[in-house]
Amino acid sequence: MLEIRDLYSGYGDAVVVRGVSLDVMPGEIVALLGRNGMGKTTVIRCIMGLVPPQVRSGSITWRGESLLGLRAHDIAGKKIAIVPQGRRLFPSLTVTEHLTMLKSASAKDGWTLDRVFGIFPRLAERRHHRGGQLSGGERGMLAVGRALMIDPELILMDEPSEGLAPVMVQHLEGIIVDLKKEGLSILLVEQNLYSALAVADRVYVLETGRVVHHGTAEELNNQTDVLFQRLGVQ
Amino acid sequence: MSLFQLLNGLTFAALLFVVASGFTLIFGLLRIVNLAHGALYLFGGYIGFSIAVKTGSFIVGGIGAMAAIAAIGFVLDQGLLRFVRGNELRQVLLTLGVAFFLNDLALVIWGGDSFTVPIPEFLRGGVRVFGTFYPKYRLFVLVMGILVFIGLWVLLNHTRLGALIRAGVDDAEMVEASGVNIRRVFLFTFLFGSALAGLAGLMGGAFLSLYPSADAEILTFSLAVVIIGGRGSLVGVAVGSLLVGLLNTLGQVMFPELAYFVIFGPMAVLLAFRPLGLFGRAT
Repeated sequence: MLEIRDLYSGYGDAVVVRGVSLDVMPGEIVALLGRNGMGKTTVIRCIMGLVPPQVRSGSITWRGESLLGLRAHDIAGKKIAIVPQGRRLFPSLTVTEHLTMLKSASAKDGWTLDRVFGIFPRLAERRHHRGGQLSGGERGMLAVGRALMIDPELILMDEPSEGLAPVMVQHLEGIIVDLKKEGLSILLVEQNLYSALAVADRVYVLETGRVVHHGTAEELNNQTDVLFQRLGVQ
Repeated sequence: MSLFQLLNGLTFAALLFVVASGFTLIFGLLRIVNLAHGALYLFGGYIGFSIAVKTGSFIVGGIGAMAAIAAIGFVLDQGLLRFVRGNELRQVLLTLGVAFFLNDLALVIWGGDSFTVPIPEFLRGGVRVFGTFYPKYRLFVLVMGILVFIGLWVLLNHTRLGALIRAGVDDAEMVEASGVNIRRVFLFTFLFGSALAGLAGLMGGAFLSLYPSADAEILTFSLAVVIIGGRGSLVGVAVGSLLVGLLNTLGQVMFPELAYFVIFGPMAVLLAFRPLGLFGRAT
């Protein structure tokens, strides 16, 4: 469904991604693992059409259609949503406004305000609070809820477990698995090996912009020693 | 300060609010310091004046001024600014150039004489306010300022477009990545902010009059308002306008030779402690 082939990309003169190829199939959770600065976020930004970085060469296709050169709002219109690194909530908007700025509160199709509040009851309690007044866990939930409101078929999640307490990470893993059951595909960027292996079907390991390891989660479960070396101390 | 002077300060603040609210919307969302905003004010005043004189209607003049300045805003944004997006220095120089151009064009069309926009019959004369006789028209400006504030407040806080504009001030890229064509929101905001400058030009043209350097004066005051209030904040503009309007009147009455210092002295002190203004937020 999402197909990246031989992607080269970078910022200015610096090449950060060097020949990455990866696939995400319908209803699949794919994890992109790697330490800081290995090019994970750059791959996500390339898919979403966010500039910089510039794509130097290679291809990104979605349902057979090239995404290169499209603007982010067009790509979002093709049902690809993003939960960005650091959440990037809007400090001036309330919880409800984050969810209804894209879709009227009375919309009935797809994901609705009520449905998002259904899977995140905590957000319903905090509906009048602003983006800046939420706890880490609530911020993560709202970022996922905001992404769901465009009725995505693929969600790009950039380190959703970052800064969360272990119990919140587990909660989030449960949500990710539930979304998969709904038929969504998820490309999950992670530094945390166990968090990724807990939910992912397949895993790619990125090192200095290249895929150095690739396999199903079961295969990689038996090679955690190698992975620990690749990923550094966890 | 007498009640008369207080009202003068308040009505000047109301006019500043209408000018500066458009300025801060554009500054906050598009990150453009539009130095042509003063010229748009003056041009709007002249156009509104001409239409009001021709048609004999102040209201038609106001609508014409807003429409014409929105059209100029469209040309400015789509024809010029789109080529220098993201480059602040070029944007500033470009809008400064446009300000000079519009200023000279106004000089060619309307000459160097000063004009006063004719006030409609029902707003002429004065009324008694708490025992002070005060011009009706200036009270009308005060009411208009309050109405524009309420209208903008409702637009920004209770509509989806308003939520998108506020979200865009916070993080434009994230709005775009959520499936919204942020450039269309930008364009709307630019036209709307320009139209407010045009409306203010007509309003101000009826009591401050229109003359070749009026654009630079109003731009200076607007900059002070936005810097004091904080970029992109509606409440900030309201508070900033009140401060600048009242300080300006106070300065003129008490220390005429230091009138500008009375505004910009406190502004400098404020900036030393709150570099982002009273209601500004780091982004």
